[in-house]
Parts: sequence; C-alpha cells; structure tokens
Amino acid sequence: MIRGQRISSPEHPAGSSRDAGPPDDRGSTPAGQATGHEIMGDGGSALTTARARLRRSLPLILGAIVLALILLINLLAGQEEDTRPLSPDNAAPAGARAVAEVLASEGVDVVRADSYDEAVAALEEGPATLFLNDAQQYLSAGQVGDLAALADRAVLAAPAGRQLTALDDDFAQVGAVPFDLSGDVPALSADCPDPDATAAGTLTATGTAYTGAVECFPVAVGDATGGLYTTSDDGSMAVLGAPSILSNEAVTEDGNAALALRALGSSPTLVWYEPTGADVVSTGEGIDPRTLLPPWVDPLLVWLLVCAVLAVLWRGRRVGPLASEPLPVVVRAAETAEGRARLYQDSRAVGHAAATLRAATLARLARRLRVDRSASAAEVIDAASRHSGRPRTELEQRLRYIPTTNHQLVLWAQDILDLEKEITPS
Amino acid sequence: MVITGRLVLLALLGVVPVIVYPGATSILLWALLLAVAVGLDLALAASPRRVGIRRTLPDSVRLGEQCTSVVVLRNDTSRTLRATVREAWQPSAGAVDPEQSVAVPSGEARRLTLLLRPTRRGILRVETVTVRSAGPLGMAARQVTVPAPGVLRVLPPFDSKRHLPSKLRRLRELDGRAAVQIRGAGTEFDSLRDYVRGDDVRSIDWRATARRRDTVVRTWRPERDRSVVVVLDTSRTSAARVLDEPRLDTGIEAALLLSVLAERGGDKVHFLAYDRRLRARVDSTAKGNLLASLVTAMAPLDAELIEADWSRLPAQVRAVSPHRSLVVLLTSLDAGAVEEGLLPALPGLTERHVVVVASVRDPRLGEMSADRSTAAATFRAAAAERSLLDRGAVAQQIRLLGAEVVDATPADLPPLLADTYIRLKATGRL
Repeated sequence: MIRGQRISSPEHPAGSSRDAGPPDDRGSTPAGQATGHEIMGDGGSALTTARARLRRSLPLILGAIVLALILLINLLAGQEEDTRPLSPDNAAPAGARAVAEVLASEGVDVVRADSYDEAVAALEEGPATLFLNDAQQYLSAGQVGDLAALADRAVLAAPAGRQLTALDDDFAQVGAVPFDLSGDVPALSADCPDPDATAAGTLTATGTAYTGAVECFPVAVGDATGGLYTTSDDGSMAVLGAPSILSNEAVTEDGNAALALRALGSSPTLVWYEPTGADVVSTGEGIDPRTLLPPWVDPLLVWLLVCAVLAVLWRGRRVGPLASEPLPVVVRAAETAEGRARLYQDSRAVGHAAATLRAATLARLARRLRVDRSASAAEVIDAASRHSGRPRTELEQRLRYIPTTNHQLVLWAQDILDLEKEITPS
Repeated sequence: MVITGRLVLLALLGVVPVIVYPGATSILLWALLLAVAVGLDLALAASPRRVGIRRTLPDSVRLGEQCTSVVVLRNDTSRTLRATVREAWQPSAGAVDPEQSVAVPSGEARRLTLLLRPTRRGILRVETVTVRSAGPLGMAARQVTVPAPGVLRVLPPFDSKRHLPSKLRRLRELDGRAAVQIRGAGTEFDSLRDYVRGDDVRSIDWRATARRRDTVVRTWRPERDRSVVVVLDTSRTSAARVLDEPRLDTGIEAALLLSVLAERGGDKVHFLAYDRRLRARVDSTAKGNLLASLVTAMAPLDAELIEADWSRLPAQVRAVSPHRSLVVLLTSLDAGAVEEGLLPALPGLTERHVVVVASVRDPRLGEMSADRSTAAATFRAAAAERSLLDRGAVAQQIRLLGAEVVDATPADLPPLLADTYIRLKATGRL
C-alpha cells in the first residue's frame, strides 16, 4: 500500500550531499511541533556493513570451521579401536592379539578376513588354517561347511549346533558346561589321542561341550558327556568349545598356549575370520522401496529444501532492530496485606486474626456510634447495646468469643460482620 | 540484503522444471536464475543510504490522545525508491502502522504519517528509522537502519479536570459571603452592602450604618495570594499500584486539580516532586501557563526505588515559600515508611505551615476485609483489617501532630483534596 503524500516542492535537488543534510530552517514549522534535521544514511556503505557483519559473525564462522574440522578428522581417522572379543587386533584382556602376534613371529601368516568372500579368497590361495570365531552365529551351516571344506584345517570357536550340520565330519553340540557356583573351574586333562590336546596336558576353562570323533578334555553335561576340544579322525577339523583360552588374559594359563598355538599354527597361513552381520545370507530378493519412486522425487526434495531455506530467510529478516521498552516496576499495593494473610494462615494464627478482626469491628462501631476513639471495648459494647436495644451480655458474648480453629474463626468472623451490620445499618 | 516473498514464489515455480527434467542441471539453472534476479534487483534498487529522512513530532501529547509522527523521505538517487519504512517506536508509543510502503520518484520527497496512540505517561523515544529499498523486480531489497532519534513527551491525562468547574463554582461562592456563614477568623474584608433579610445581625457594620440611613453589613472574601506548596512523593512507596495505576499517577492527578484550583483561587502555587532530592519544581509565579508547565514537568516523573528523606523537606518548602503556606504532601500512609520518615519531620512543617497529608487508599483492602467466606479469605480479611487499623493509627498520629489527612480511593482523592483546600480557604486557615 502506498501511503505517502506528495510534497509539491522538493527542497533539495537530486545528488546533493551524501552525508547528513544541513538543518533546514526555511520551512515554517507549526506551533508545538519539532522538526528535526534531515538525516541521510547511517554513515556507512554496503562494504562497511558487510565488513561489520563479517566481524560480528566471525566467532560463529570460526566455531563452524572448528566443528567441521573435528568432524572431518573423526571421519578420516575412522579406524576406531578394535574392541571385539577374541579379535587378533584387540590388545585388551578379552582380545586375542597375543596369540596372533606369537603365531606371526613364528612365521605363520595371520590373515584377517573381514567378510565371507575375503575368507573364501584367502583360503583358496593356498594351504591355510581357518579360525572361525562366529560368536553371534551369523553364518549358515552351508557357509560353515563350505569354509571348512576349503580349509586344510579348520578350527571352529564354539559354533552353534545348527552350524555343524553341513560338515563332512560328525560333530554335535552337547551343551554348555554347567556353571560351578563356587567359582572354581576344575582342571581337565586331555584324555584323548589328539597330539595337540596331549601336548597341552590340562585346561582350566569352561565353555561348550561337543561330541565328535575324538573328544578331548571331556566333561559331563547332565547325562551326556562331550569334549571341550573335539577333532575329527584325521585332525583336519576341530571344534574348540572353550575359545576363551585364546584370550590375552587366559592364554598363559595351564596348557592354553600350547593348545592354541598347535591348533592354529599348523599351516603357513592362518585365516582369522570373524563374520559380521553383512555375511548373513538373505533369503529371497528384497525390493528397495525407493526404486519404486519416480526419478524426480529426490531432486524435488532437494529443491523444496532450498525453497524452505529461502522462505526462512524471507520471513526471518526484521525491518530494522527491535525497539526496547523500559518496563515499570509493578507492585500491587495490597501485596503486603496478602503476604501477611498467608503468614497468618501458615502459622495458624487464629487467635491473632480474631483479635485483629475484633479490634477492627470495635473501631468501626466506635466511629459509627460516635464513641470516643480512646474508649475501651466495654464502653463501645455499652454504646452498641444502647443503640441497638440488644442485651449487653449477648453482644459481649458474641464479640468476646475466642475461636480456636479455622472453622470457628470463619463462622465467628461472619457473625461479627453481620452483627456490625445489624447494629449500624448503613 | 533482504529477499522477498516474490523470490520464494519464483523458487517454488522451479518445482516445475525440476519435475520435468529431474537432475542437478535443472536445479542449478533455476538457482542461477534466482541469483541473477536477486543480483539484478540489488543492483537496480535505489540506495537506501541516499534517502534523506526528516521527522516532525509534536512536542507533547496528552495520554489518551493521539498524535502523528510525520516523516519526510527525500530520494536523492537517480532511481525510483520503492521503500518499506519502519519507525522503531518503543511499544508503549502505540504506533498504529509502524511499517509503511512508499514509492518516491528520483529527486522528489514523500511524507509518511504515522499515527501514535501512547499508552504510558513519560518520555517516549524512537531511535531508528529503517529503510528497505526494493529493486524493480521486487525480489530483493537493500535495507539500512538509520539512527534518527526522536522524543515524544506524553503528558499526564488530567482526568480530574472534570471536577474543576464544580470546585471553581464553590470557590467563587466563597466570595461575598457574610462572615457569619463561614465561621472562623482571618478572612479579608471585602466590601459593605445593604442588609438583606437572612444576614446575620452580627455582621452589621454599625459605624457604616450610623453614617447612612440604611443598615449595612460587612462582606468578606477569602484571602488571596496565599501560597500553596504541593509536594509529590516520588519515592518507592509511590510505585505501588492501586487499581492498576501507580500511586504516583493518582498523586499527579490530585496535584494538577489542586494546583489549577488554587491558582484560579488567586493563590500562589508551588509544585515540588521530591524523594531524596528535588525531581521537579514548578512555580505559578513564573512566566507562562501553570497547567502547561506543570504537566510538562510531571511527564517524565517516575517512582524512584529509594526511600524518601522527609527530614530535608522543611528546608525545601522554606526555599520555595518562606511564609506561612498550605503544604500538601501527596504520599502514602504505609505504617512503616511513614513512622520512620514522615512523622519525625512533620512537626518542623506544622509549626510554620498548614499541612495536609493526602494518600491513596487501596479499595482492595476494603473488599478483602469484607470477604469472610473461607478460612483463607478470613485470614486475608484479618490482614486487611490490620492494614486498615495501622493506616488509621498513622493517620491519627499525623492529626495529633496538627496536620490534616485525606485518605481516599484513587477516584476520590483529587476531588476530596480540592474540597479540603476549599474548606481551609473558607475557614480562613490559610
């Protein structure tokens, strides 16, 4: 809406001074009106404004840069520490870096496979031992069978019962070794013809028992028995029911190290494979719902985002700075009385409140009945009795009553108010 | 730089090419189109830094009335200025349409009229004027905030003015009254006139009657040229609100009515606003209209959050009026503040002057003391009665010290104070 009124004669020709104009006294100002000097511009230029804004937003920009740098560094140096148990790179007590390092220094090429395909490729390259540590049981029985068939020697760390079904050799899970509440783990002797187990001698470990061709370190699980280290007849397949013996923490105990090194170090290459969720074989072809959308949806969303940002910039910019208002202090005059009332109530000052009400009533009666201000309560009651024709004792009784509870106070306060109105109807 | 809704609309139109030719190219091309439009607009917009701004403001406006702030925009560029102009008045100035659009051709000037309806008494300020100059396409604009300070003095409303005619009539009726009808000494002899039935025989001037054949009575007129000193308390107690109006504002109303009345009654009026030091002083003996100078002096008054120092008040009063005068103190009767501050200082005033202490009573206390429906209400009633009793006691102490007390609700205080003045004048106590 154009609201300006046209002014007949412009006082300044175009292109005069850029700075604040001189005071102009030519125009006659109406009485009681103050016309200020003409002011032009804020004394700056677009460049200075831009510079001032830049200076003002410098901390923000610096902060954003620092944040971006931190993010970038985090993304680039994304190799976070390996904390998975029994991982060959994990130096924590639960890791298995000690075994891997010892094997490597003994000339065994420890290849760490991160995916099923990598494991297959590594195994195909030559004579290798597979160490499969699938604690989350991602792999299917077929995958385990295929891997075991590819490897010259396979050591499975506590596999699930279903993962053993596709193996050439006959292994089965018996169950977890019952947990001894006393906390003592009995030492187990090899008790089998397997040379690795015999070399290890005894184990002090707990885990899962398996049955197979050769059962070493036999334990009883319920009625059945099984071994913590079970191998096939030819020793090319081993199931380690107690993978914890490989951990950095426990590898030095008893025969743990002997068993671990002998079981894993028989081939020039050791493929250390810890499957991840990515290795799970999916059943059936899934359809990505995004492929069903028309191709313009993504660009449209991007463009709408741009439009939203523009709309924010449009609505977010004020016409000039906010004007401030010096606000007055707001104190209600009756506030002190309200506060005093709450004090009375909180401290249950029934007697005090009653005395105040009585005094106020007597003071009003005295004023209405023209009794002197210095008169005593008895004189006021006398006057009230004379004025209203009521017996003095009744008035005295009603006015001098002393309430003790809130309930009595309320009733009595209403009563003396009524009494007051009856005696001096206004 | 500012973008407008038109640019956002153009950006939304870009949805069509993005759908028809999906891909980065259409997005980039449309973004380029937007950038070109913005750049063109910014380049072709008249520079808001070369717009002359001149504001015309009334000196003062009475609270409750409206006024206009006129801004003249002069376009000093060679392009047409399409501007949105905003005057950043503080909110209580009640600017009706602070943002206005105007087109100013090159080299010309336009007048913008901004309606102000102030909602608070005092000095209202405007610090800046913002000029947003849009380009010919209306897609982008350049914005500059120009420091252009302005001040508007909002005067007290003087609502109690409506009591003035009746009080003035009563004041005039004092003239020419027989002395007997207004008991008391000290009235001035005015003239002699013939006796009419009803006049008190005691006012018959026997000497004059002896010179003439008719009976003659003396008439009197109230004293003139007495001085009235109105002291307005601006200390912390005057900040308290009674019926959503600070005590100070009620005091201002009462002071205005009394001052105007006293001036018309032929007395000299001195107004002081005082807490620990003098905040404002107006004398009727000075040049110019008393009412105008009073409201101008009262406009910027605000309650200071400090305790009043009454001990120095007698000296202040003596400074403005060395003779016996009527001193009206517009303050509050809060027990603590008065007992410690005003009471010790009162004897110093009452021994020389006639003193009236006027105070605003909160009608809320009366309502509270009458409501005894619940336990909480009864305790409130007791507290209110306590306050009223304390007030009564303080008022009694003040009366004992020889001063008059006017304690009334905000609406009643100005007329009651005026009545007190008329009564004092009629009885010749000034």
